[in-house]
Formats: sequence, C-alpha cells, structure tokens
Amino acid sequence: MVAIYIDHLYKSFTFSRGWGKHRKQTNVVAVDRISLNIPCGQAIAFIGPNGAGKSTTIKMLTGILHPTAGKAMVLGYVPWKDRQSLARRIGVVFGQRSQLWYHLPPRDTLELLARIYDLEPKVFRQRRDSLVERFGLNEFWSTPVRKLSLGQRMRAEVAASLLHEPQILFLDEPTIGLDVLAQQKLRNLICEWNQQEGTTVFLTSHDTGDIERVAQRVVVINHGQIMLDAPVSELRSRYLNEKILSVKFHTPIYEFPTLQGVRQLEVMDFGLKLEINTRLIPIEQVISQILQIGSVADVAIEDPPLDAVIAHIYNQPASEGLSL
Amino acid sequence: MKALLNYLNLAIAYVRLNWNAHMEYRGAFVSQLLAMLLNNLMWVAFWGLFFTRFPVLRGWTVQDVVTLWAIAAAGFGLAHAIYGNALQLAKLIAQGQLDVWMLYPRVLLPHLLLGQMNATSWGDLLFGYGVYLGFVHPDMVHFVWFIGLTISVAALFVGFSVLTGSLSFYIGNASALSDQWRMAMLTFSTYPGTLFDGAIKLLLYSFIPAGFVTYLPVEALRSLSWVHAIGSVIGSVTILGIGIGVFYHGLRRYESGNLINMRG
Repeated sequence: MVAIYIDHLYKSFTFSRGWGKHRKQTNVVAVDRISLNIPCGQAIAFIGPNGAGKSTTIKMLTGILHPTAGKAMVLGYVPWKDRQSLARRIGVVFGQRSQLWYHLPPRDTLELLARIYDLEPKVFRQRRDSLVERFGLNEFWSTPVRKLSLGQRMRAEVAASLLHEPQILFLDEPTIGLDVLAQQKLRNLICEWNQQEGTTVFLTSHDTGDIERVAQRVVVINHGQIMLDAPVSELRSRYLNEKILSVKFHTPIYEFPTLQGVRQLEVMDFGLKLEINTRLIPIEQVISQILQIGSVADVAIEDPPLDAVIAHIYNQPASEGLSL
Repeated sequence: MKALLNYLNLAIAYVRLNWNAHMEYRGAFVSQLLAMLLNNLMWVAFWGLFFTRFPVLRGWTVQDVVTLWAIAAAGFGLAHAIYGNALQLAKLIAQGQLDVWMLYPRVLLPHLLLGQMNATSWGDLLFGYGVYLGFVHPDMVHFVWFIGLTISVAALFVGFSVLTGSLSFYIGNASALSDQWRMAMLTFSTYPGTLFDGAIKLLLYSFIPAGFVTYLPVEALRSLSWVHAIGSVIGSVTILGIGIGVFYHGLRRYESGNLINMRG
C-alpha cells in the first residue's frame, strides 16, 4: 500500500519589489514537478542543501501549503483539502519549531494533546505510559521544557508527535544541534518505531548519520527537482567510482609508482592511503602494484564517506538527474 | 451539540494550561493584572470627578458610564483571557507561525485563538465584573443581562482582532496597523455612545465598530430593551463573521515561514 503518492508536484512563490511603474514580480520555484511513491512502513530520507525544497515539500504533504500545480495523496487524503482528517493520521516534528509548552513540563503538553486528538482517558494513559518508558521521559517528566537539554526536548517532541499513533511520521531535521549521544538515542528510537510499529518515516536532515541509521531509501532534492532516488545501502557503493585503499607494510617503502586514476592521499614510512577511480583502473591492478613494492601487513578497501557522496550529488546542475 | 461540548472541553483545557504557564511567573502575572485594574480604576475615578461637576451628559449619568466601562472591560478581558492569540494574529501570520496549528485535527481559527492567554485581560475581566457589582449594584435580572452582553461584546472584540490581524495575509506584516486600529476601537469603546453624531456615528458602526460596545449594550441594560440587546448581538456576530471570512480568505495566501519558535 502506498503511504505517500506525489505526481508532478509544483510550488512557486511570487515576490513583488519596487513601487508604481517599477514594481516587478519575481517568481521563485521551490518545488519543480517532483514525482514520488513511498510505500507504507518505509523510512525515507528526503535530503538536499538549504533552499532545495525539502521543507516546502513537507509543508505541502502535511496540508500547510497549497501547491501551485500537481497532485499528492497522503494515506489516501489530499493534504491541503483534507487537512483535519489527515492530521489524525500523521505526526510531524519540526526540529526548529516546538509543540511543547515552553514554561510547562512535557506531561502537561501530552495531556493537552490527548484533548486535541480526542483520546479516551484509558487509551491516553496506556499510550502515555508506553511513550514515557520507551523514550525515557521519566527523568524530566515534571520539569518545565525551558529547563530541558535540547536532546531531552527533542525526545519529548517526538514522543508527543507519536501520542495519537500516527501512520506516518514527518521529521524535519530532528537531530539539529544535538550532541553525538543525543543524536544516537533519538535515531535509535525513530528506527525502533519504524521497524516495530511499522510507522512510515519521512525524514529530512543534513546529517548523514540520520540517513544511514534511520532510512532505507534516500531521495535527494536540489533546485526543487529530484536528483537521486536510491536505497541507502547502495548509495555509496554504486554511486561513486572512487574507493579508498589503505595499506600497511612490514618494511618501510620509498615510493609508489604514478598510475592513472590513482591519487596518493597519504604516504608514510610503513603505509599508504590511495584514492582509486575504478572507472580508470581496476582495483586488482593497483593491489598487484602494491605487492611489488613491499611486503604487505594489512589492506583495507573502503567506500568514501557518505558526506562526500552527498556533496558530490548536491554539486550536480539542476538538469542532470542521477539514477542508480 | 456534541462538537460544541467537545470544543468547550478543549477551551477549558487550554485556559488551564495557559493559566499554569502564567503561574510559573506568578509575580509578573499578578503585577500585570493589578496594573490593569489600577489603570481602569483611574479612568473611572476621572469620570466620577467629571460627573460631580456635570451630573448628566447627553442623557447619561455616572452610572451609565460606569456600566459602559464595565461592559467594555469585561468584554475585552473575557475575549483575550481565553482567545489571547487574537491579539497576536497579525504577527503569527506574518512570521509564518500558523504551521504548528495547521498540523492538528481541529478547525484552525477557533483552535489557534486558544493558544495564548493575555495576562492583563484578567485585570480587565475582574475590573469589569467588580466595578459593575460594586458601583451599579444590579439586581439578578440586570446581572444576567450583563453576563450575556459581556459575551456579545467579547465576540465583537475577538472578531475585530481577527479581522485586523488577518490583514497580514494581504499586506505582509500588519502588526502595527492592527494594533493602531484596535487601539482606536478601544479608545472609542470607553466614551459614551451618545456623544457622537453624523459621520463619526457612522464610523462607529462600520470601520471602528465601537458603537456595539458604547451604545447598544448600555441602552439594553438601562431599560432591559430586547431591541438594543438584539442589535448589539447582531453587530457582534456580523463583525465576528466578517473577521472569520477575511481570515479564511487570506489563509489561501499563507506562505508559511522558517522562524525558530517555542510555544507558551
């Protein structure tokens, strides 16, 4: 079953500048005819540089903004027409906007949310207790939100967005500003919810850790267009033709021959780090060269960091779509 | 009926939550409340002094002016003690802060308005009821009418705040314009309705609809007149209806925003 269906979705904003005869209207395209299908239960990372159109897409899919053209269905609802019905079935967390009352403890906000979503008292108590336990909210359950750390606040935010058991969870940069431990904790919780409860996750983030840990599929948007749509597991290995080869020797080495498609990143007495373009030279040819220059103690072949892959994709011009 | 009860329950939950949020800084809350009470009392004292020199002003006595102040203050206080976000609407729209409210399964405007409580409005509300009971000494029937007319005036103020605040959909940041317009409404709402004639009277039943505060409700209370009471209610419902219409018409132009913000 399809959770989110998007067909040529388009959104532009019009800005006016100047006065009288000099007044001019500028049309800025935020989302440019994107099409996408997301099955129920999938965790998708929807990524792109600032201004790429991510937040505008989320806002259209949650019914906040009307598109200029195109179609979208979320759980069978047209978001901007059936906003209220859809709101009962989705949860949204904006990393930079809070739904918690700043001066009150998370407990109070959850009680209010139970009223907003018309939850039966018994159902509310069960769900609240389960969320408190799974998200570890007990330690700050009665502390005003203003006194919580950012990590605690975000855990409470996500828990609050799950109170009504949404079928889709939209997360807009949920780990922004969090330290490494808080990020890990939050990612694990989102992942757990996706896998155990079958909640569809639609995540935007600039953090590659979020993408690798949480998502099964990555969609890259830039200049309002989809640049790439691929499984996360294949993104690194299939997209870039570069491999990083690290070698340790038993004895010192003095030089490594210059080969086309091989770049020396690091040269030490007992080691080498090379970047190999596998389109230009097979990796076994490089290894055979290495074996000729010294006695090898250890070899490691790695894919380049995901950050590098994503940066490469972001740098593609708008017209060049990428596919795997 | 079920929907109305459901909404009343939600409104009570919001009032309780907003009240608790204010109680986190109870010193600030109480001082704001007392300052508003004092401010209103000074105005009533001024009118008291005035009427010692001129006992009747175009047919109105000091009791009528006190009734006017009581209705205006109680109506304004009731409106914004519950619907405090009505005063913030222009800013919320201009800064794209309606997003959070649009993610809930509730009718947008009545839900959004509940989101904040205006502390000084409690001062107005207390003053309005206190001064009416303390100075006018109404019988039970007059007091029940007073409550009804207070609710009508509250609806008028909410409608007017929504109407002026919704201008942000059309002209960008209408906060200053909205504040000025509302101040004009408030200012005219505290002078006897019988003072104005001609073009100004027309103005007070149209662009600055203070006539629905300063004349019709007071006349209704003076003589328990259904005609004036119904006129007052019709005026309030009309302004509220226009406000709601302008809000939802403008909502189609809403462009969201990315301001970092917290609630409460």
